[in-house]
Amino acid sequence: MHARHVISGSALLLAAPLLFGAGIPLGAEGARKNFVSCPIVRDTASVPCWLTEYEGELYFLTIQSDVTSPVTPPWLGHRVLVEGTVSAEPRICGGIVLKPVHLSVMPELDASCNTMLPAEERYNLTFEPPRPPGPSKGRLAFDNTPPPAARKADALPSTKEFVVPYDFDALVGFNHARVLTEILEFARAVNAHDIEIAGFRGAVRLSNGQVLSEEVDMGKRRAEQLAALLQGAGLKSPSYNIISRDESAKATGVDDYALRRANIMVR
Amino acid sequence: MSKRHATVLAVWLSAALVAAAPVSSTSWWSPGQGTPLPEYATYQNDQGELGVLNTSGSLDTKGHPFFEPIGTNGRACVTCHQPSDAMSLSVRSIRERWTATGGKDPLFAGVDGMNCPNLPPDDPRSHSQLLERGLFRVALPWPPQRPDGSRIDPEFSIEVVRDPNRCNTDPTYGLNSANPTISVFRRPRPVANTKYTTHQNFGVGPFIGKNGMPSSIDPETGKPTSMNLMSDARAATLAIQADDAARNHLQTAAKLSTSQVARITEFERQVYIAQVARRDAGSLVEPDGPPAFGPRNLAADDAGVLGNNTTRYVFPLAGKWTHLPRTSDDTVNARNVSRESIARGHDVFMFRTFWIKDSMHLNSVGLGNPVKRTCATCHGMHMTGMDTANGWMDIGTTNLPWATEVPLNPWTEAKPQMPLFRVTCKPGVRPHPFLGRVIYTQDPGRGLISGLCNDVGTIVMEQFRGLAARAPYFSNGSAATLRELVDFYDRRYNIGYSELEKQDLVNFLGAL
Repeated sequence: MHARHVISGSALLLAAPLLFGAGIPLGAEGARKNFVSCPIVRDTASVPCWLTEYEGELYFLTIQSDVTSPVTPPWLGHRVLVEGTVSAEPRICGGIVLKPVHLSVMPELDASCNTMLPAEERYNLTFEPPRPPGPSKGRLAFDNTPPPAARKADALPSTKEFVVPYDFDALVGFNHARVLTEILEFARAVNAHDIEIAGFRGAVRLSNGQVLSEEVDMGKRRAEQLAALLQGAGLKSPSYNIISRDESAKATGVDDYALRRANIMVR
Repeated sequence: MSKRHATVLAVWLSAALVAAAPVSSTSWWSPGQGTPLPEYATYQNDQGELGVLNTSGSLDTKGHPFFEPIGTNGRACVTCHQPSDAMSLSVRSIRERWTATGGKDPLFAGVDGMNCPNLPPDDPRSHSQLLERGLFRVALPWPPQRPDGSRIDPEFSIEVVRDPNRCNTDPTYGLNSANPTISVFRRPRPVANTKYTTHQNFGVGPFIGKNGMPSSIDPETGKPTSMNLMSDARAATLAIQADDAARNHLQTAAKLSTSQVARITEFERQVYIAQVARRDAGSLVEPDGPPAFGPRNLAADDAGVLGNNTTRYVFPLAGKWTHLPRTSDDTVNARNVSRESIARGHDVFMFRTFWIKDSMHLNSVGLGNPVKRTCATCHGMHMTGMDTANGWMDIGTTNLPWATEVPLNPWTEAKPQMPLFRVTCKPGVRPHPFLGRVIYTQDPGRGLISGLCNDVGTIVMEQFRGLAARAPYFSNGSAATLRELVDFYDRRYNIGYSELEKQDLVNFLGAL
């Protein structure tokens, strides 16, 4: 399971984004773009667009949505790690669409990332965003209904592995409450006696060839934190086996986000 | 205390009785007075009238632990949770009590009714936080402790930068005392409408939706709680809060008995408050009126529902007062003009977008920074305007640079009254995403309980009901009026409200 996937097809594909600016460079579709840069927010008549520049080109990252969105906007005041694939979709808000895209807010403050652009008619979204800038029409932007209630223990597998994804150099955040709840409920349902947590440290091979590695002890910290959180939520009876692994050497520039994870085996 | 603040105190002391004239001070409920609390009562306030509804019917307060002085200092729960003040306590009532009793009322007990317990008790300057801003001293252990008493290793260190009340540096009560303690100063919250503050509905789960940490658990049910009761979410349930308050504010010699806790929480679960009339707009609770108003609508509606949408609304007005007729009756016309202002204020609250920036646990929870949204984005719980999920955020009421500070310059003798702390996030901990590694704060808020760097200065947002009866506002009383509250937001987020928008918003908030 990945907390940050792609923008839902229902959100943008079904719409008719405004075409603007140059098209996508010939042959660029499918190209991987991994880089760190300042995000840019552009206002529109409805919701803002989030963009960024890299090597003289403007890229569209996402629109403002709500907490259910699989891709959540970056933050001004911080640089953002972008791991995306050039899409064939028409430009949105002037930017080449990266889809799928994974965004990680870099932890240190960077006051130079402060670009807010005003609304311009030529950049208005021509589709209805899944979530307006104010009150919704009674639903969340994306289908994020809670998982079905845990089945009775005799109807469940005796073991189950969960994958917990992370932003770059990050521990548990707001987007982990759901997967942690799933783990907790499964462990309770099967009366788990053993929980094995493997925390991984990853890296990203950027498009310029540089490899950006996570902090050295990130795998260990992830595993230890997950164990502490599950215990803190009341899951104290199982034995916890905590291991950490370093997969930073596996960074290839393709789906490197998947290296940043923890695997949790509940049995 | 500076000359200016001494002057301020003297001015209101001499003027208190005059200023109080429009509102009867007989509404003060003394501990142990033993009169019944009716099923439905109304109390006058500056802006109109507050309604207090007991859904269980008239309450015999004689012998009731909420109304009796069960501690050692003569206070009862009702001392700081007055029915006339929306089950909270206005600074106006505080000043009236000082004037009426010469500062002898148990309300002014040294434990928290003074800036520090070691100050001279009869001197109003010793009570300046309470008399000027309605603030009680809240003494919290440092480092933080879990509910089982074990110590939390905090992510940050804390130093006292400014200590105008001399409590945080006091050898007995301060940070370097035998029992290291941090004193902060906060307003009492309304003990009413509690089905909303303790709901088990939308956004409540075993892990906090804003940071993935485990939620507090109700020890009686084993269920996670909404953690929306107190400004720092340290008490998970009404029962825990009652015992915490009894020990720390009433100075009970022992824990409350099971029976006492049951009676207190039973009362708190059935009492509802809301404004029911405004001087300019008349009754807020006429038949077929807007369904947002009045305690009866609060008692009847659903708790823990996300209202930031156009199906349930946070405060449903049902379009009742959007366009009202003009007649030949000037009185009716004036009333209708005021009602239309309330309706416009609702629309400002619900639909007027602005850029919300650098607010911890709002911009950091998936919305982006900044996010173009409305007041109702954060204040989204149907009927109360609280957060449905665990509701602590930092909007800058206590953290610098946004917290209200006294402007220091060579031409004024004004001195800061609030303490100031320097918080430094430890190496290896991610810096606070909007404030960096070093944070200056008047009150670390939730950070004093969780020990998390990102929680420094975060305060659980409060319900919007009965506001007209319980000024001042914000946890540190820094907004003396609803207009000052609106002005704070306008300044903080560079909203650019028009004068009309501000007036409408104030009228709307005052109608809740």
